[in-house]
Amino acid sequence: MKKRIFIIIISVCLVLFSLNFSYAVEPEEVLENQKQETRARNISKNIRCMVCQNQSIDESNSPLAKDLRILIRSKIKEGDKDFEIYKFLTDRYGDFILLKPPLKSSTLALWFLPFVFFIIGILIVYSHNRKSKKN
Amino acid sequence: MKKKLLIIPFILFLSVLFTLFYLLIIDRNPSKLPSNLLDKKVPNFETKSLFKNENFISSNEFGNEIILVNFFATWCKPCRNEHVYIKRFSEEKGIRVVGINYKDDTNNTIEWLKNLGNPYSDIPIDKNGNIAIDWGVYGIPETFIVNSNSIIKYRHVGPITKEMYKKINSLIEAME
Repeated sequence: MKKRIFIIIISVCLVLFSLNFSYAVEPEEVLENQKQETRARNISKNIRCMVCQNQSIDESNSPLAKDLRILIRSKIKEGDKDFEIYKFLTDRYGDFILLKPPLKSSTLALWFLPFVFFIIGILIVYSHNRKSKKN
Repeated sequence: MKKKLLIIPFILFLSVLFTLFYLLIIDRNPSKLPSNLLDKKVPNFETKSLFKNENFISSNEFGNEIILVNFFATWCKPCRNEHVYIKRFSEEKGIRVVGINYKDDTNNTIEWLKNLGNPYSDIPIDKNGNIAIDWGVYGIPETFIVNSNSIIKYRHVGPITKEMYKKINSLIEAME
């Protein structure tokens, strides 16, 4: 019985965590064109709030995050492409404004070391298994 | 022999871990805010100027002398605290200071400057915060040193303190 309750609690928590409830977009910011609004939301989710730093501007209530959300929407309305908007923002705030660091020579270790460790791990498990089979 | 070989990945892992930890301590200061506009030209903008009838056009203003650009607002308490040093830059050192009035009420600004003194040669108005975004501003007050070639040479986030006042002065002296 206890186990069942524990599983239910864990499942509910997982479902709640997987849903993205928190976003700070105010009604007057939302674009009428649904496609444009979806693009704006997707870009906003990838842009760091420079004031709070661990939130995206989509979730942050800071004034700068709001200004950036409005700016992104006005650029979309003006017909800018997504990469142009990202470039505009990184030109001013650097790569730090992107929540996902871009793949560059300086970030190679960051992107590929986990895979290297994963392969090393597999090799260790493989050699260990072979050894135990022999024994 | 094989057992000895198994130590290699472990050593490799530890060395990477120590390297990353070392970089975390030495190279990265979380309170330091990265700036992408250093050594770049000032952004182009045109906006209303507070005490003048004509617009402030950045391309006409920068490029002749060293200019201090200060983002401020009357609702910002740290801006009031640093105002004494902004005045000293202009009055004692003779440095031209441009004050960008960030998301503020015009009447409040006029009153504020009447009470505290006006050290600014020009006050471009940034009504919606877009000029601040163009300068990569995080939050006010922020101060930039622009050299006589319109290049941003230094950026300070936060209010100017006594130490910062000295530092900015020595930076400007070195640029002259």
